[in-house]
Amino acid sequence: MISLPVVLVVAGLMFAIGLYGVLGQTNAIMVIMGVELMLGAAMLNVVGFVAYAHPDAASGAFLVLITMTLMAVEAAVGFALVVAAFRHSRTAEIDDLTELEG
Amino acid sequence: MSALGTALVFWPAAILMLVWGLYVFRTASMARAGLLLLGALGLEGLLFLALASQFLGVLMILMMSGEMIIMVFFMVMFMSDPGGLMGMDMTHDKRRSAALAAAIGIGLAVLAVATDWPGAVVSPDAPDVQAIGYEVMGRSMFSFLFAGVTILFAMVGGVLLAKEGGRLGLAEPGDGTSRRDERT
Repeated sequence: MISLPVVLVVAGLMFAIGLYGVLGQTNAIMVIMGVELMLGAAMLNVVGFVAYAHPDAASGAFLVLITMTLMAVEAAVGFALVVAAFRHSRTAEIDDLTELEG
Repeated sequence: MSALGTALVFWPAAILMLVWGLYVFRTASMARAGLLLLGALGLEGLLFLALASQFLGVLMILMMSGEMIIMVFFMVMFMSDPGGLMGMDMTHDKRRSAALAAAIGIGLAVLAVATDWPGAVVSPDAPDVQAIGYEVMGRSMFSFLFAGVTILFAMVGGVLLAKEGGRLGLAEPGDGTSRRDERT
């Protein structure tokens, strides 16, 4: 059956997959996708702790709400940065974006 | 949900979520990658439901559906090879990143198994919608308002960043902002 360590292991593996994407991909959009997976793993951790350790803690559920907000904000600002970088350099490859010049 | 029901939902959803999550970074087609991520995060919503967090599970599925569809559009717009038909390799440091990610994944898994965590059985008393509502409108109201303002700032900042010419607009010759003016 399911227990807290099982949930944490799944979340840890999900975090590692996201990290693999962030480190290994050259396109900014794919890096954002990796960050989304890592934040998803963090949320799964919190939901696991709420379910098994503190079932009456609504503040844990609230933390997940805040993390979802963070995911949306991160994606929105990330996409905007990609659009700005693409306008300037005609590419979204992070290996080519080596200058901060506007 | 009973313990058996939790297990029946949790295991397939967890395994499929991890496989799809991994395939996001293995497939050459960007549209497929976006839809795989949508599937993986949707399955995470299913995990939330299995862990008795109904409100968060449904919210996760709804939010990620919208966000990932937008992400697919961006990927198709900005990828050099969105369909994956040209066989372009859009990875770097493949071995080192895979090794580091595997090491961290194994480390986190060992830590999760080796630690003596409290609690053993999923409780049906997970915070329901009413409790979350009281939390949001009570003790955590300020944080909730702050999250709302943060989203507003992100929207305004995102539009300004993405606008042609940036937040100052396009440079006109003679207005002191173009590079030609800086040189003269």
